[in-house]
Amino acid sequence: MIKGSYFNGETSDKKDVSLFYKEDGLVGFNELDVDDVSFNEINISSRLGNTPRYLNFPDGSQFETLDNIAIDEMVEKLANDPLHGLAHKLESAKSFVLFTVVAVILFGWLFVQYGIPAFSKQIAELLPEEASQYMGQGVLDAMDKGFFSESKLTEKRQNELTSLFNSLLKNIESSKNYQLKFRLGGKIKANAFALPDGTIVFTDELINLAENDLEIASIMLHEIGHLKNHHSLRATIQQFSLAMFVMVITGDVSTSSSIITAIPVMLVESGFSQGMETEADTYSLEYMQKQKIDPNYFAIMMEKLEASYSVEYMSCMDSISGKENVRLKRIKCINDAVKLSKAESNEGDKSTMDYFSTHPSSKERIDRFKLK
Amino acid sequence: MENVNEEVGAQIINKPFEFTGKAGEFFAIWIVNVALTILTLGIYSAWAKVRTNQYFYGNTLLDGTSFRYTANPKQILKGRIIAFVVFMLYFAASSVSPIFGAGAFFVLMLLVPAFLVMSMAFRLKNSVYRNVRFNFNKDFSGVYKIFAIPVVVMSAYIFVVSQFQESIASGAEAKPEFPVFVFVLLGLIALMAPWWEYMITNFRVKHAKYGDAGFSFSATTKNYYWLYIKLVLVLIAFSALIGLSVAGISALFKPETADPSEMMKYMPILMVVIIVPFYLWLFAYMATKRTNLLYNNIDIAGHKTQSELKTGYMMYLYFTNTLGMLLTLGLLMPWAKIRTARYRASVTSVNVAGDLSQFVVVQTDKQSALGEEMGEMFDMDLGF
Repeated sequence: MIKGSYFNGETSDKKDVSLFYKEDGLVGFNELDVDDVSFNEINISSRLGNTPRYLNFPDGSQFETLDNIAIDEMVEKLANDPLHGLAHKLESAKSFVLFTVVAVILFGWLFVQYGIPAFSKQIAELLPEEASQYMGQGVLDAMDKGFFSESKLTEKRQNELTSLFNSLLKNIESSKNYQLKFRLGGKIKANAFALPDGTIVFTDELINLAENDLEIASIMLHEIGHLKNHHSLRATIQQFSLAMFVMVITGDVSTSSSIITAIPVMLVESGFSQGMETEADTYSLEYMQKQKIDPNYFAIMMEKLEASYSVEYMSCMDSISGKENVRLKRIKCINDAVKLSKAESNEGDKSTMDYFSTHPSSKERIDRFKLK
Repeated sequence: MENVNEEVGAQIINKPFEFTGKAGEFFAIWIVNVALTILTLGIYSAWAKVRTNQYFYGNTLLDGTSFRYTANPKQILKGRIIAFVVFMLYFAASSVSPIFGAGAFFVLMLLVPAFLVMSMAFRLKNSVYRNVRFNFNKDFSGVYKIFAIPVVVMSAYIFVVSQFQESIASGAEAKPEFPVFVFVLLGLIALMAPWWEYMITNFRVKHAKYGDAGFSFSATTKNYYWLYIKLVLVLIAFSALIGLSVAGISALFKPETADPSEMMKYMPILMVVIIVPFYLWLFAYMATKRTNLLYNNIDIAGHKTQSELKTGYMMYLYFTNTLGMLLTLGLLMPWAKIRTARYRASVTSVNVAGDLSQFVVVQTDKQSALGEEMGEMFDMDLGF
């Protein structure tokens, strides 16, 4: 005898009833004047925690009960369906659940940490060269529209740097479509970019930081490192796979607030990006060592780049007037700013924000080049 | 038939919702869902979604009877596969060329109203209470009519702004009428927002049915304008507060150091102390008031729903949920969902006129899960 509620299938009327079943598989209700029904014609919902069970009869009526144990017993007696309630068996086995927790955490960590970067690398290397070139189209146009303006460097200076760039390329295989471009950075300030189609963009502001052209060469090599490692393509594939992974894991919970998923995704993506920066640094470092260029140039340039965002440097640059010795004055500005930031950052340790950053901390990067 | 109760002046009894789900129990269901989803490369996710919904529906009781979610996982899987393919195409298109991406985005945007209707229909037709199905009238032309005006105004705004930017970029003399246009259109959008929210909520409620009984909605546009006016007042007060504290901090440092970088160090503290609570408040306020406004104005054949969510308690829930999930990398998510559902149920009730036995079953056809799955893929908020 199983107590529950009966709904006739025509209205929302509810009757308290008790259900009985016989050995021969006939099921009926004590209080109701309806025919007994064969068990095989009844659709029984599978067990889910302690939520009610529903028995649906061929005539559209439904029996609802909280007595899960009695229903399980009935199913076991009358049905030979080993799959019935399988999910519930898994969900209610404590050891299985515990094992699952550990397995899911371990898998999630391994997959994100190693799986996604490894297979993005593989795919990026498999894809034809054209895939990257296709991706780069329009990026420079968009940046020209939004941020950049025409370079103010003299033609002579541009030619000097281009021949420096080309001399670096001599030792690099399949680099014929790599080309150097200059832009006035404006809001973007001192920076350099490698676009997937092989274009490397330097801002005037970055060029103006350098005292020695080998400093610029070290950054060129870093950007070439991005191109050689297919970083744009890999970043795209990684972002996509991460989005899919998060969606698969949280697929059934998309209604919960997205900040919960946004923060881990940001952390992971900045981790991926930091990894790529380190790879590009490694490329630059190895090249410099092979070609007997002092790696210190990269360290110097990184210090300057960091200092170039400081308020002191900007106000110093603003105060430059007149036409004479502009170059020397600029160099003095940046050297002063570097000294100042070094004095300040003595106490600096890795702050929490570094985990969210797209680049590894400058100090770490600089140290790699200084020690060599 | 439905009016009989009112005619005889049936007694009104307030029946509260009850939620009986347990965090531990749901955690086990959830983690097994995640594991099986990974093992089956995502295929199980459709079954996972159904079991999750069934758990929440089944633990939500009204007058001693549970709700039931009856969606077929295979149908959801089909919807998911289609949505996944579309998502892949969209992603590929937008990484190949921003123009392609924009085109694909535009086409998808055109389909949003249709997805909204399909999603509502799928969800309601798969919701059952007392063996009677909910239902949703799929009025596609109606939904496009509601979307038409905002879309026209938004497009005009985007067009004017892009023209404005172009004229600045090309260095031509900036036309003085552009800022005026932008300002007028922005004002129009702001003034339209409450009206539009009313229209869309009204649409969703009025097309819903329980059995053969339609839903009626008694909220007015005025209610929605008040909701936003209060929001704007708080925003103004909040901006004043920020202004004062920034001024206060700079006043503290000006005399001796006058060093802006020294001052900047205090900005993160300012962020945490003022901006985070403000965001929490903003989300909690909108969620609370919207829900209350919705449920306090629904009438189904004389039975009226009632909701008394409190902004303060919602803030507390959001804060503790987010904190808990951050600290456990999402493992506390089941707990967060359960306690939110419990709180929501505890403040929701139905003023039942007589009893709930007079609703008549209506046969309905099968619904495609495509709309709902598309919405989920592209992270649209289609929730009811």
